[in-house]
Amino acid sequence: MRRNWKFYSQLGLTIVLCLFIVVPVVMSALAGVTVNVFQGLSSGFTLRWIIEVLDLYTDSILLSLWIALVCLVVTLVVGVPLAYVLVRRPGRWTRLFEELLTLPVAIPGLALALALLITYGGVSGYRSSWLFILTGHVLFTLPFMVRSVAAVMSAMDMKMLEEGAASLGAGFWRRFFTVIVPNAKPGILAGALMVVTLSIGEFNLTWMLHTPLTKTLPVGLADAYASMRLEIGSAYTLIFFVLIMPLLIAMQTLADRGKRASKRIDTAEDTL
Amino acid sequence: MTTQIKLRDCAKTFADGTRALAPFDLTIEGGETIVLLGPSGCGKTTILRMIAGLEFPDKGGVITFDGDDVTHQSIEKRRVGMVFQSYALFPNMTVAQNVAYGLKVHGVSRDESDARVKAMLEMMHIEMLADRAIDQLSGGQRQRVALARAIAVQPRVLLLDEPLTALDAKLRVRLRTEINALLRKLGITAVYVTHDQEEAMALGDRIVVMQKGEIAQIGTPRDIYRKPQNPFVADFVGAANRLDGQMRDGRLHIGNHVFDAVDAFDPRHGAIIDQGPVELFFRADGLSTCDAQDADFTGRVEAVSYLGERLRLTVSGIGPQSVMVDTHADDVIAAGADVHCQINPDRLTIFPAMRERTPAASDAR
Ligand SMILES: Nc1ncnc2c1ncn2[C@@H]1O[C@H](COP(=O)(O)OP(=O)(O)OP(=O)(O)O)[C@@H](O)[C@H]1O
Ligand SMILES: [Mg+2]
Repeated sequence: MRRNWKFYSQLGLTIVLCLFIVVPVVMSALAGVTVNVFQGLSSGFTLRWIIEVLDLYTDSILLSLWIALVCLVVTLVVGVPLAYVLVRRPGRWTRLFEELLTLPVAIPGLALALALLITYGGVSGYRSSWLFILTGHVLFTLPFMVRSVAAVMSAMDMKMLEEGAASLGAGFWRRFFTVIVPNAKPGILAGALMVVTLSIGEFNLTWMLHTPLTKTLPVGLADAYASMRLEIGSAYTLIFFVLIMPLLIAMQTLADRGKRASKRIDTAEDTL
Repeated sequence: MTTQIKLRDCAKTFADGTRALAPFDLTIEGGETIVLLGPSGCGKTTILRMIAGLEFPDKGGVITFDGDDVTHQSIEKRRVGMVFQSYALFPNMTVAQNVAYGLKVHGVSRDESDARVKAMLEMMHIEMLADRAIDQLSGGQRQRVALARAIAVQPRVLLLDEPLTALDAKLRVRLRTEINALLRKLGITAVYVTHDQEEAMALGDRIVVMQKGEIAQIGTPRDIYRKPQNPFVADFVGAANRLDGQMRDGRLHIGNHVFDAVDAFDPRHGAIIDQGPVELFFRADGLSTCDAQDADFTGRVEAVSYLGERLRLTVSGIGPQSVMVDTHADDVIAAGADVHCQINPDRLTIFPAMRERTPAASDAR
C-alpha cells in the first residue's frame, strides 16, 4: 500500500507535537549535567551538580520516598476494605461517603492544607512532624486508591465469588484474602502506583504543610529553583525524573495488560 | 450416609417487602434428587438459597438436616456443595486450585488433597485441564470444574441452580445425562433448580412445580406429566391444549358432543366432578385425526409443522383457542384444509372451570 500525503502530514504533525513536549524535557535534563548552561554544551559535561543536589537534598528525597511508602501502606490498609464496603453494600450512606471521599480531589490542595492547618496547626508535636504531611497525602491520594480498586471490584461479581467460597466453608477473612484481594489485584496495583506517584510529586499541599525540617522532594525542588544555580535545579529535576519515570512506565504497562486481558477472546473450544 | 432435608413453615419476605415464598413444607429424603421447576420469578432460587444458608426463612420457619436444626447456621457451617448458573469459579486460581480450595479450607493434608483433586478431575473428565486458567475454559468445561469443586469436599447436600442454562442445547443434554449418572453414583441428596421441563423430568426423582411463591404440585415425573393436579401444572408441563366443557350427570358435554365414562376426578378437592363447567387440558395426543364419519370435531388447519416422525397441526374452530393435533408424518395436509378429529377421553385432564373465567357458569354449581 502506498502511503499518501495525508499519512505523511499526520506523521509530521505528530512528530512536531512530540518534539514540543520532549525537547524541553531533554534540554532540562541536559542542563543538569552541563558545566555551564549559559555557555551551552560546549562547556562540557559534569556530575558535579547531581552530587551537589544529593549533598543538599538527600534528606528531602528520602523523606519523600518514606512518606510515599507509608502513604501507600495507609491507603492500602484503609482503601481496599473501604472500596470493598462501598461496592458490596451500596446504599444511601455509602454513596454519601463516596462523595465525601472525592472532596479532597475536587478542592484545591491549598484549601485542604489550610483546613488542616487551622484544625491541627496548634498541636505542635504533630504540626512539625512528617506525620502532618502524611495526613495531607493520605487525604489527597485515598480517593484514587478507592476509585481504582472499586472499579475492578464492581466488575467482578464479588457476591457470587464470595458465595462460592462460603459454600466451600471459607469464612469472611479467608474469602477476603484468598478470593477478593487476588482478583482485585489489577485495581490495587494501579491504585498503588498512582498513590506513590502522586505522593512523590505532590507540591501544593505539601508546600503549605512543610516546615524547614520536613521538606519533601518537590518542595526542595522549588527551593532549588528559587535560590540556587539553574544547573542545580536542573540536576534535581533529572533525579526526580529518574525516580518517577519507572513508576509512570509501570502504570502504563499495567493499564495495557489490563486492556489486553479483557480483550482476549475465549478460544477454548466447547468439545466437553 | 445421606442427609434428609426438612423445611417446615418456611416463608420468605425480602427486606424490601417482596413476598417471594408463602409458607410451605418440604421434605427431601436422603439420597433423593429433587427438582424445583417453575417459571421465572416463582421462588426456586430462593428455596435453594434458603437450604444453602444464603437466605434465612421468615420467623417461624425451621430447616433441619437429618434432624439437626440448621435454620440459623451460616453457609460456611452447613457443608453444602453449590453449583451456580454462572459457575462462580475463582479466576485467580487454576482449575486444580479451584477444586482444591474447599479441601484446603477444611484442613485436608496436602497429599490427600492432591489425590482427591486428581480423582475429581478424572471423574469429570477434565484431568488434562488441571493447570489451565479459568478464562481459558469453555462454558461446558467451566461447569465441570464447578461440579468437581462442589463435590470435592463431600458435602451433605448438593445444590444446583440452573447449572446448564448458559450452555448450548446439545451440550446441555449431554451434561444433563452425565450429571444424572453422577448423582446416582454419589447417592447424594441433591436439589436441582431449572425452568426446563424436560431437564426436570430427566433428572428428578421427584419434581416440585412452583407457581408464584407457592408449591403447585410435588410428585414423580410420571405423576406430574400424567396427573397434573391443577391447570397451572398441566399447562406448564406441556398440556397446552384447552377446551371448555360441561359435566352433567357424570357425562361430559363439549359443544354438542356428549362423552360417557369420562374419569372426571378433581385432584384438588379429591372429589368426582359430575356437575358444572369444566376445563379440559391435553397434549397433542389428546386429539387424533380420523375419517369424517367417526369425527367428534371438524376444524380448519391453520399451520402445519414437520417434526420428523410426525406432523403437528395447528387447528382452529374446535375450542376457544386453536389446538395442536399430531398426525402421521406421511399425511399430506396443507394449511386451509378441513380436518376431522376424534377425542381420546383418557388423555384428558379435567378441572372445574375457574371462577374468574366463567363467572356465570360457576353460580350454577
Ligand atoms: N434479594 C432480593 N430482594 C428482593 N426481592 C428478591 C430478592 N431476591 C429475589 N427476589 C424476588 O423474589 C422472587 C423470587 O425470586 P427467585 O430468584 O427465587 O426466582 P426464580 O424462581 O429463581 O426465578 P428465575 O428462574 O428467574 O431464576 C422474585 O420476585 C424476585 O424478584
Ligand atoms: Mg433463579
